[in-house]
Amino acid sequence: MVEFDLVAPRSADEAFAALRAAAPDGAAVLAGGTDLLPDVDEGRQRPRVVVSLRHLPWRTLDWAGPSLTIGSTLPLRALEQDPDLVRRFPGLAEAIRDVGSVALRHRATLGGNVVRAAPTSDLVPVLLALDAEVEIVGPRGTRRLPVDRFVRASRRVDLGPEELVRAVWFPEARPSAYRWQRVRPANDISQVAVAAACSPADRRWRIAVGGVAPRPVRIPSAAEALGAGAPTAAAVARAARAAADAVAFPTDRRASADYRRHLVATLVERVVDAVVRAEGFPR
Amino acid sequence: MTGGPIALRVNGVERRASDVPASERLLDTLRWRFDLKGTKEGCRTGGCGACTVLVDGESTLSCLTLTHEVDGRAVATIEAGGESPTMERVRAAFVAEGALQCGYCTPGFVVALTGLLEERGRAASRDEMLEALAGNLCRCTGYAAIGRAVERLRAEAP
Ligand SMILES: Cc1cc2nc3c(=O)[nH]c(=O)nc-3n(C[C@H](O)[C@H](O)[C@H](O)COP(=O)(O)OP(=O)(O)OC[C@H]3O[C@@H](n4cnc5c(N)ncnc54)[C@H](O)[C@@H]3O)c2cc1C
Ligand code: FES
Ligand code: FES
Repeated sequence: MVEFDLVAPRSADEAFAALRAAAPDGAAVLAGGTDLLPDVDEGRQRPRVVVSLRHLPWRTLDWAGPSLTIGSTLPLRALEQDPDLVRRFPGLAEAIRDVGSVALRHRATLGGNVVRAAPTSDLVPVLLALDAEVEIVGPRGTRRLPVDRFVRASRRVDLGPEELVRAVWFPEARPSAYRWQRVRPANDISQVAVAAACSPADRRWRIAVGGVAPRPVRIPSAAEALGAGAPTAAAVARAARAAADAVAFPTDRRASADYRRHLVATLVERVVDAVVRAEGFPR
Repeated sequence: MTGGPIALRVNGVERRASDVPASERLLDTLRWRFDLKGTKEGCRTGGCGACTVLVDGESTLSCLTLTHEVDGRAVATIEAGGESPTMERVRAAFVAEGALQCGYCTPGFVVALTGLLEERGRAASRDEMLEALAGNLCRCTGYAAIGRAVERLRAEAP
């Protein structure tokens, strides 16, 4: 068994101090631990000190008008069971239910998922489609960054060694959806996945594709092809083609590049259809 | 802290241990310190559900949970017996339908389903029950009988 020390600070300031004391490279942060502990077991991370966030008061869900702030350490299972979230952010709720299994989601968190920044993350694509921003706290104060700029590549995010993600902020509830293709519905990784949302404010679309290295990406050309509000069948077909052309899909043991191109076009059609049917879709 | 004491309420009984290493998993604490061998180790990487226990009533993968992270909380395992009427009901349904072959995966399935029924009560739909089991693997592939156990529980919902 890989050994480490465990500290569970009672405040953010105590957490920063613990991170500083173990610097550089000596510390790792633990939320649900569903990514961190396998990383430690397999030697991808070798922390001397693990800083647990369990006592921090960040298991929150705050609505303010159309916007929503989700505390970074709230388990995913609590999110998918919130009726308002399911109704107003349907794509986010769908994506959350696609993470691992129910038992995994009793511990896994949104904060852990964005900081892990896996190319195959089920949550990053929908965060991109919802224009989500991360709230970062550190010894020098608070800053905020769009997820699109925060996530760089697998395990690489714009986060200082003494900084923590406190919350994820969503500017507005949006009709949204998430669709994927994978072999096993639970505990499996998508060959490719697509998130879409349409803003009730500007009626514009956002499309993002996951399952691609180095990170999930937005596809502005596909979003533009859809126009404003409900798209025509021809516009949907153009968007599907734009998404298939925009991404340099890899061939690996899960799927060939050709198959992924084929999948992404079909998934764009399905996801757009689901968004158009969602409550509050701007016509 | 490199390690230290922990206290858990396991199946209704206070359990304590001193000097539990910081990196120890709840799975190992239950099996090797408390000799509760009903909770199984399958993959140790979160993928099979064999190690599922309830922490404050919520299904939890004990192989991916540090014991210190759940210090002071209530844990239920397949050995809960009469402490958990819901688990008794799930177990009876598995027995009635013969929903086990070698039995290695069975504690994980029973505990995961118990967690869902305790979480959702009467509202639990068939799809939700199956979804709560989607993270559990049965190497004997006895899924059809497990599905029948789910149907039986639906039919006799209190
Ligand atoms: C069997 C299995 C199946 C899985 N299936 C899926 C899946 O289908 N889809 C999917 O997207 N993911 C999946 N995952 C990955 C994982 O469960 C998710 O990424 C989860 O959301 C991570 O959250 P966590 O709280 O457990 O993170 P942790 O493991 O606690 O942390 C992950 C990383 O983020 C850092 N971190 C955590 N919280 C913070 C914070 N607030 N501030 C700063 N840094 C922080 C940690 O130091 C660590 O590096 C799976 C994992 C397993 C083991
Ligand atoms: S042993 Fe924990 S999920 Fe397989
Ligand atoms: S009964 Fe043998 S693994 Fe399920």
